[in-house]
Amino acid sequence: MLWKDQYELGVPLIDAQHKELFRRVEAFLQVLRSGVSWDDKALQLNDTLEFMKGYVVEHFRDEEEYQESIGYPGYEAHKQIHNNMVDYVLEVSKQYEESNKNEDLMQQFGGRLLAWLINHVAAEDQRIANYAREKGVSGNDK
Amino acid sequence: MINNLYNVFFDATHNVFQLMLNISDISAQPEEEFKCDDEVDISVGIQGDLSGEVIYRFPVPTSLNIVNIMSGMQFDSVDAFVTSAVSEMANIISGNVLTALSDNDVKCDILPPVLCKLDDDKDYELKTSCCINTAIGEICLLIRLNRAS
Repeated sequence: MLWKDQYELGVPLIDAQHKELFRRVEAFLQVLRSGVSWDDKALQLNDTLEFMKGYVVEHFRDEEEYQESIGYPGYEAHKQIHNNMVDYVLEVSKQYEESNKNEDLMQQFGGRLLAWLINHVAAEDQRIANYAREKGVSGNDK
Repeated sequence: MINNLYNVFFDATHNVFQLMLNISDISAQPEEEFKCDDEVDISVGIQGDLSGEVIYRFPVPTSLNIVNIMSGMQFDSVDAFVTSAVSEMANIISGNVLTALSDNDVKCDILPPVLCKLDDDKDYELKTSCCINTAIGEICLLIRLNRAS
């Protein structure tokens, strides 16, 4: 299981979204790495890509609103990291369509997404939780 | 700080292995003990107060162990997925290094990681290696940088 309890921030809405994100990415990886033909995989992977484009944006927006609500000083830098990831997802999605569903492109995306997500939640997002605890505002959930 | 690049890279690698892989059993290793024929080499370019590149040498077994731990799945050979995942890890370590440098008023940016082949034909003002032994295998960072003139 990709999700680990140590990733929890103590903010119920954000934690729930993170768990959903990890669940979806895990399902995506299982399809991506399964032994079925690429044509069969491609159909299922399309669904995940569409989900990522919508859900990731929604989650990032909610997380940024939370950061603003507690006055997180790293808000701008964190938002930039989110924007860069959204741009990457959109760009890969575009290239994937233009390449007529190139498998290597999607394998590259899977590898980067996996490492990015773990680092982002285990390191970058934990800084938000640490700040909230230090300032005594960790209970300020939406 | 610039004269202590070895420690900056070692600490960043240590932190990333701990946070992303739950591995804290990490120690420095002499470069001559790092022996590897089959590896994934990733170059991360650096621009700014320092310019050049850092080459991350991930032996194949280390690369596979990294991805197996992150994914909870079994990878038996290096492919586009594995290469991309360890490239992102090199990118993350480099990003942590840049943050540490920035905290000491050394301002740099990094370029996207790319697969590379090892060559040693260029001279750099700051040229050192940071070889690390971990519970899941070795890695070696070749640090090749010049100070901005």
